[in-house]
Amino acid sequence: MRGIVKRFPGVLACDAVDFDIRRGEVHALLGENGAGKSTLMKILYGLYSHEEGTILLNGEPVSIRTPTDAIELGIGMIHQHFMLVDTLTVTENVALGLPSSRGPLLDLDRVAARIRELSETYRLDVNPDALVWTLAVGERQRVEIIKALYRGAALLILDEPTAVLTPQEVDDLFHILRRMTQDGHSLIFISHKLHEVLNISDRITVLREGKLMGTVPAQGMSRADLARMMVGRDVLLERNRSPVAQGSARLVLENVSALGVTGHESLRGVSLQIHAGEILGVAGVSGNGQRELAEVIAGLRAVTSGWVEMDGLDVTGQAAGERTQTGFAYIPEERMHDGVVREFSVSENLILQDHTRPPYSKGIFLDFAHIAQHSQELVRNFRVKTPGIETPTKSLSGGNIQKLILARELARLPKVLVAAQPTRGVDIGAMEYIHQRLLDQRETGTATLLISEDLDEVLALSDRIAVMYEGRVMDIVKREETSAEELGLLMAGVYPER
Amino acid sequence: MYRRLILMATFVLALALAACAAPAAPAAAPAADAPAAEAPAETSDPFRIAIVMPSSTTDLAWSQAMYDALKSVQAEMGGEASLEIAYSENMFQVTDAAAAIRDYAAEGFDLVIAHGTQYGNSMFEVATDFPETSFAWGTAVDTGTEQGLENIFAYEAAADEGGYVNGVIAALLSEANVIGVVGPVEAGDAKLYIDGFKKGVMDTKPDAVVNVSFTGNFGDTALAAEAANVHIQAGADILTGSAQQVVGAVGVAKENGVKWLGTQSDQTSLGPDVVVANQVYEWTGTVKDMIAKIQAGELGGTAYNLTLANGGLVIAYNSAVAVPDDVKAAADAAIAGIEDGSITTME
Amino acid sequence: MLNELFTLATLIGILHSGVRLATPYLFAALGETFAQRSGVLNLGVDGMMLMGAFTAFYVAFNGGNLWLAVAAAIGVGCLMGLLMGVVSVTMQAEQGISGIGLYLFGLGLSSLLFKTLIGSVESVSGFPKLALPLLSDLPIIGYIFFDHNVLVYLAYLMVPVTAFVLNRTTFGLSIRAVGHNPEAADSLGVSVNRVRYVTLIIGGGLAGVAGASLSIGLLNVFQENMTNGLGFIAVALVYFGSWRAVGVLGGALLFSLVNALQLWVQVLGIPIPSDIAVMLPYVLTIVVLTLTVRQIQQPAALTKPYERGE
Repeated sequence: MRGIVKRFPGVLACDAVDFDIRRGEVHALLGENGAGKSTLMKILYGLYSHEEGTILLNGEPVSIRTPTDAIELGIGMIHQHFMLVDTLTVTENVALGLPSSRGPLLDLDRVAARIRELSETYRLDVNPDALVWTLAVGERQRVEIIKALYRGAALLILDEPTAVLTPQEVDDLFHILRRMTQDGHSLIFISHKLHEVLNISDRITVLREGKLMGTVPAQGMSRADLARMMVGRDVLLERNRSPVAQGSARLVLENVSALGVTGHESLRGVSLQIHAGEILGVAGVSGNGQRELAEVIAGLRAVTSGWVEMDGLDVTGQAAGERTQTGFAYIPEERMHDGVVREFSVSENLILQDHTRPPYSKGIFLDFAHIAQHSQELVRNFRVKTPGIETPTKSLSGGNIQKLILARELARLPKVLVAAQPTRGVDIGAMEYIHQRLLDQRETGTATLLISEDLDEVLALSDRIAVMYEGRVMDIVKREETSAEELGLLMAGVYPER
Repeated sequence: MYRRLILMATFVLALALAACAAPAAPAAAPAADAPAAEAPAETSDPFRIAIVMPSSTTDLAWSQAMYDALKSVQAEMGGEASLEIAYSENMFQVTDAAAAIRDYAAEGFDLVIAHGTQYGNSMFEVATDFPETSFAWGTAVDTGTEQGLENIFAYEAAADEGGYVNGVIAALLSEANVIGVVGPVEAGDAKLYIDGFKKGVMDTKPDAVVNVSFTGNFGDTALAAEAANVHIQAGADILTGSAQQVVGAVGVAKENGVKWLGTQSDQTSLGPDVVVANQVYEWTGTVKDMIAKIQAGELGGTAYNLTLANGGLVIAYNSAVAVPDDVKAAADAAIAGIEDGSITTME
Repeated sequence: MLNELFTLATLIGILHSGVRLATPYLFAALGETFAQRSGVLNLGVDGMMLMGAFTAFYVAFNGGNLWLAVAAAIGVGCLMGLLMGVVSVTMQAEQGISGIGLYLFGLGLSSLLFKTLIGSVESVSGFPKLALPLLSDLPIIGYIFFDHNVLVYLAYLMVPVTAFVLNRTTFGLSIRAVGHNPEAADSLGVSVNRVRYVTLIIGGGLAGVAGASLSIGLLNVFQENMTNGLGFIAVALVYFGSWRAVGVLGGALLFSLVNALQLWVQVLGIPIPSDIAVMLPYVLTIVVLTLTVRQIQQPAALTKPYERGE
């Protein structure tokens, strides 16, 4: 790709970017959110058009206007948000859009056979007959890989493929990717996780604000080098946790069980305590009850047995609104759906829970002057990058929306905080900042439950770590006394020998 | 923006077409019915009547009976130059009808007819605001004199009278002694007709069975047809029914060779071989009388009732279906009895 | 009196009526199933049916072959579907509103054409009863199921056909994918808009037959607004049937059988006020709907126009 230029209204998303990939290599594309990585790749995959520049494939200029063109040229893409139809089976998802050997009739048996074959070759371990909605995130990703391979992709674009995976799943994925490169596949790996990029890539291209910062071989680069290229300044990669005196138990769960979205029991007798000034990390493979745990504490999901106490008060029967008024704050996992009202402005989202109370309202009217002042302050203090406080929230980047939610929740000086996946999909600069705010909060005596699939994050921030497996707490271990290996085993439902 | 424009254009087109078919806009109707070029040629302005109807002018029932009467009065008076008719049909929404009534009054029509019981309240309001305009309301007996209004006529049809006669005919023609009635809603004109019909059957043949069903609707043609089917399966060999929905039921009667008795309009055309007789509403006299009164300066106050005696109700036989003389004689006797008051048509 | 309702003859009568009454609902609702599975809620079914009913009637009235009449009704229905596609898919108008617009358009145009081309309610001879050989001789079953006109059989035949197309063909797979996750389908080169156009056109064609099944099958007349909102019930039946052909069949049959039942209840003189009786099918349908509806079946992209994110 040479001299690629793409403009969005008001933004130069790609500014004369050059990019090349060789056969059989893993080429990482690194950059913060909004640096233009995804845009560049969507141009390559025919989802976006570009204003200037050319794309050459094997030395020949090619025109890629639609994904179909890209697929025909052997280019496949695995999107960050999986492009799978939940209600269909794996085989149906793979067969979608392809001609069938039986004309207008589906030939799913043949497709399934080929899936098994591919699954075997690359050890993808995918059941062709499973319905996609029953699959875990890692499995869905492997379905996406099969989809691309089935279509004969020689060049595969992976857009932040590890953002949603556990360490073991990341390892599995890397094994698969290596097998693919050995077969001569070329892979473009988009990420901002530095150690992963260093681990898997042959070469690394760094983008910042739509501009090419350079392409370097992975060999000999350090994380600090890459972070500097990405952010344009030195980034603190380690977290400083000062010891904090722990107080009384602020959040107590006693033998809590609850049903999940599918109607099955997803929490089974969970008991835990979090003290003032403590961060309890929850580790686990996604879908093992973490989401239900957060929702139960937030009052968004009813318990079938057990009780929840906050600050000595039984809140089991309380609605979410009542809990927030007694000093509870919640950073939900699905920030776009559960955390903000997308169509609302930044300032409206900032006062979402408190808009019916002074100082934001007078009687039934909103006090706009005060709201504006309060919002300006939060936007400044929490470094939310937004054109203004009246900007619709949906036009902000993921990291900035997360900062906005953080600002709103922390400004309420919570006694108990549940942070679910607080940095998922957030860039390295924002992550650094969010981590620091969570640690600051800990020092003020907040009891924090940190749910994360990023084991590094859990290890960096937590005082104690609870590992969840199939709705149960396998064990709660002190951070100083455990290791990633031990946690990995617990996450797989195995008690390590001590 | 471009999209929006095309979309708007599409809707305007759709609405225009809908409006053409059911001229809700009074402004459009006079233009169609009374070409402007002809009007000045006349020495006097035409008499102008507007009518708002719950169903279509072609419903072969309630609305068509009145519309046909207006047309025949128009022909008699010398065409559009003498009598201008504007109409809004399919006004099953009372709010739409109310708007149309008000528009017609504001347009300066001499007589605005609200052809549905349900339009009463709306029409009374408009009539208060337009004391110079004459209004007519049916099915009703209230001319608003108690409220001090002097510009309202009321009209109704004694549907029970023809119903009684149809009942006599049905009872005598039925061999199975089972008769089916396909009713719309158990109220108003339909209830009168059905009550009269039942009495007619019972007075003639006390051991006959009259099965009555209602569809809950005036326009559910498919359900009315199925109701006719059910009646036939339940043993009925004579059917009758009311409202525009019966066109479906007549079809079923025809298919099964079962006799049909019509009401409101002449339904013979739908089943030339099975329709025996129809009670036809003859509103011509009523319309002519209203016109005469208005022209004489009397804007309302009269309540009309179509009866067999005053010729407003006519029993029209279908000449293609042979009716035995004794049946005809019994029907004639019933008519005479109703006219002289020796027969009561209601329980 | 109640025991009269449970005689064999009455039960057979109810089933016979119910099977026949379901015909227009089946055609219309199966057509709507295609559209909704691809993510388009078309509320204009009633208008498409009216146009189909008129077209079929007009052809038959002028001496045309009955199959030609059906074909013409399908053609006109397809055109109406195409129109819905232009408005709701290409121009991305709000689906509910454009559907109502299409309904008004069909209602108005069919009335206008009826007034100008025919003028008064007339009857035609439509499809005669076609007792299927052998099958109609079966005791009880024969009369209930195999003693109807050919369009009735066709309606029931459309149930497995619809299920087959949706579940066993590549196009059906595209329909299901487009209705649930248009982005995913688009990323694999399936043209979301093309699929939605085709389903709307199929839905229009079937709505056209639904209209024809009234005007030259069951009733053999055309009357303004003769569908009387039947098309809206058909839309509800698609929800009722959880967007599956068999479910739609169940819903149509339940609704029709209860309607037949309430007619019998009235005809037999069982003392239930007629106002209550006529509500029965609607009440029962709503009750079953609230008890059985499973959200997971609903096409996730239903009512959402698709625009490739930029």
